[in-house]
Amino acid sequence: MSDSVFEKPSRRSFIKIGGLAIGGLALAACAPKASTGSTGATGGTEAKLGVGNNGQVGKGRAGATGDSLLIAGFQWGPPATFNPLSPTAAWPAAANVMQIVYETLLRWNIATGEVMPGLAKEYKLDGTKTITLTMQDGVTFSDASPCTAKDVVASFELGKKNTGISTAAFWAAADAIEAPDDKTVVVTVSAKTKNVGQVLRMLTETYILPAAVFSKIADDKLPTEIMDKPIGTGPFTLSKADQTQVVLALNEKYWGQTFYGGLPVMKQIIHPIFKSNEDGNIKFQAGELDIMQQFVSQIWKMWEGGKPVGTYLKDKPYYVPGSMPMLLMNTTKKGLDNAVVRKAIASAIDYASIAETAMSGYSAEVQPSLILPSGAESKFFNKEDAAANGWKFDAAAAEKLLTDAGAKKGSDGVYVLDGTRVGPYKLITPTGWTDWNASCEIIAKSLKAIGIDCSTNFPQQAETTQAIQGGSFDMAVWYVSGVNPATPWARFKDIMSQSEVQPIGKTTFANYGRWKNDAVEALLTEASQATDDASKKAAYDKLDALYRKEVPACPIMYRPDEFYEYNATNFFNWPDEKNSYAPPMFRGAGNTWMYKIKKIAG
Amino acid sequence: MTNIQSAAVTAEAGGPLVPEGLPTEPQKAKPAWRSLNFGPRMWISLGIIGAVAALAFIGPLFYPYGPDQKVGSLYDSPSAEHILGTENFGYDVLAVLMASARNSLIIGLLAGTIAVLIGVAIGILAGYIGGWVEEALMGFTNIVLAIPSIVILILISISLQSTNVAFLKGVVGLALVIGITAWPWTARAVRAQASSVATREHIDVAKLSGARTPSIMVRDVLPYLASYAVMAWVLQLASAILAESTLSMLGLGPSGANSLGKQLFWALAFQAVATGAWWAFLPPTIVLTMISFGLLYLQSSLDEVFNPRLRRGKKKNLAKAAARREETARKLAEQNQRVEVTA
Repeated sequence: MSDSVFEKPSRRSFIKIGGLAIGGLALAACAPKASTGSTGATGGTEAKLGVGNNGQVGKGRAGATGDSLLIAGFQWGPPATFNPLSPTAAWPAAANVMQIVYETLLRWNIATGEVMPGLAKEYKLDGTKTITLTMQDGVTFSDASPCTAKDVVASFELGKKNTGISTAAFWAAADAIEAPDDKTVVVTVSAKTKNVGQVLRMLTETYILPAAVFSKIADDKLPTEIMDKPIGTGPFTLSKADQTQVVLALNEKYWGQTFYGGLPVMKQIIHPIFKSNEDGNIKFQAGELDIMQQFVSQIWKMWEGGKPVGTYLKDKPYYVPGSMPMLLMNTTKKGLDNAVVRKAIASAIDYASIAETAMSGYSAEVQPSLILPSGAESKFFNKEDAAANGWKFDAAAAEKLLTDAGAKKGSDGVYVLDGTRVGPYKLITPTGWTDWNASCEIIAKSLKAIGIDCSTNFPQQAETTQAIQGGSFDMAVWYVSGVNPATPWARFKDIMSQSEVQPIGKTTFANYGRWKNDAVEALLTEASQATDDASKKAAYDKLDALYRKEVPACPIMYRPDEFYEYNATNFFNWPDEKNSYAPPMFRGAGNTWMYKIKKIAG
Repeated sequence: MTNIQSAAVTAEAGGPLVPEGLPTEPQKAKPAWRSLNFGPRMWISLGIIGAVAALAFIGPLFYPYGPDQKVGSLYDSPSAEHILGTENFGYDVLAVLMASARNSLIIGLLAGTIAVLIGVAIGILAGYIGGWVEEALMGFTNIVLAIPSIVILILISISLQSTNVAFLKGVVGLALVIGITAWPWTARAVRAQASSVATREHIDVAKLSGARTPSIMVRDVLPYLASYAVMAWVLQLASAILAESTLSMLGLGPSGANSLGKQLFWALAFQAVATGAWWAFLPPTIVLTMISFGLLYLQSSLDEVFNPRLRRGKKKNLAKAAARREETARKLAEQNQRVEVTA
């Protein structure tokens, strides 16, 4: 902890920064007016791409921050450590975030569903047996030491040494990883699960770490070791971190200059640390942030108010769907153990209201399916079966489901089915998760309207997580796998599989509703082992049909995997639907825009 | 409570101070409400509270939209049809405001009454009986007083929310919690007055005539504290409504019920201030201000009614009273002269 990056800003450094800022202002004031002359697309000679949704661009920032990218929405507390194996690692060392300091072998593209090259320039599949990867040329770590296939193998082997780190999940899907030479890596897919998708997912999410650094750490210390000088293969290194910001400096000797077509345009990346969403949103609106990953209610007010703010899609829902928050139902609770009640609940929820008000219009119409009907997963979605055997918001139909099953309304207006009063159920989600809190209010109101007793409760996040993982909850709004190379299989597993379920009171990480069915595991295996899209779709059709019959949980909205919104005050050429060179994301292939955005002034 | 000065003022308000036996001008019979001595403050505060109560209880009878009826989208601006626009769930702000004001008033009434009942009961018991009972009760009161009530309120509301008992989760549960935590200062003040009343002669008379202790406490002590209890009740009402709003604004309000604090909670959560949706947060703020200002103003004007020393008059009336005093003094002087002459 003695390193300077963790020190609080001293008075001297403050004066230095202040002097720089004043100097910058003075220089800007002296600069010829031409540099600030380009105002908006109307004044330019040719229309700029990747600008605000209103066609506006800013004038560029003067001074030292003109060459810096200001980003927010990833780090909310003082950075504790930059050890990528720590569960509390700070951005950008935290697991599966933007590839700035650490990089992965392959990069996932959420828009196209492609697995793109990263540190590996290509990968070859041998059925469901092996994956062979070839490394890029001249990959080096930021300390100039070469990154070879041996580092790759060592990075994954860490998951065997300590099962408490996220890399350990790799060994559930793979049997071995070997390096026949310095540039080749061969992964043997688990002969038992044969789940290539899950292996690819791990290859897109696991950072490649320097073996020289991590081999010196004792196995049991791997997740707890404090690191303040992260060494990775990425284009930036950590230059400063305190409770107000994380600052990264460009590595001029970055290995990927030929692969990405040059160095990133910014000299620095600064992530200010805010206390709340609102603080960040105000800075973003003012152009003091270039890009962020934060929920902004009614973001269109920003570009309608003349700010050069943009999103990937130019019309509603503005964001590309990438995840599906679910209404989880605890099937061990009386009433909720009945599929009829669960289907009535799914039919009683006013999804349109949730999308329109709670989600600020950022969600498309929800389908009765565990498959996202747009983007990478859309090829597996069975529209006809969803329409024929699914559900949609229809309060009368929901009540009819209950009355057909023999339910009678009690004197308090709540249905009683087979001697069980339907409720009271407590619907939980963490406090402060604004859009989910509002969704819960709408769900509770929808359920009360048809005679199911439900009320909301918003405990702290830790308490909510404990209730959900331990199985003591009634109903909860919670997340399941977003779109990645292993979905939709991973999502079906999260909701329906019994393979990871623990008894009530013990922590479980999938199938929180403790739903049981004998047919599921065979169908899941069929889906994970299918090698071509047609057989995969056949397996998913069967799984989705079973899901629609049993409704162990139901999606309540579609949400972007990451909120992607930019402010073209200082940079333009951001990816959007008209300028779609990169997907609207930060992780995986989202790093592409770092190399392609352009400075507006100078 | 009585002294010569205040007696004189009371008498003056009634008419000129003229010694008995002197011919006086015939007085007009005054309507009963005028003898209550309500000052202009009283009328203003009653007007404000009446307006809020009308909004809360009469408004919904005439307003076409309900508080659970989705009539628009997220923060639609005010229009001819929805004069205060819509809030974050797409409900009509005015309709929600009516329901919220009603719930806030009900919580205030319930909690304030509970707090005053507990406070007066403990205060009279301690003050009248005295001895170790007083020591014990006041010790307990001081302990409760020393713990910041907002902390207890927050803790109890969190645990109430996670129960499955519908009764406790709603408006009534919250009112109970606020009432149970708000009584100590009332108890302390009532104890002080009760122990003073306990030493008066009429209590001795009551004891000598064989009245039992409970009967003395209710019939002979309580009436002397009634004016204070009423004022404490009004103050408790105001603070209970504010306490409820504080809790609701923190997201700890009653589940599934509207309240002014909850409206502010959602307005903050959906960044109404940043997006310029003033209609989402101004109306509940204004109603809340009206309620607490009206109640505090009512309390201070009640103080005037119960304590004539504090009563203030109009300048015109003061001038009249001064003229009357002069006239009386002149008449008295004349009378004295006449007496002297006849003597």
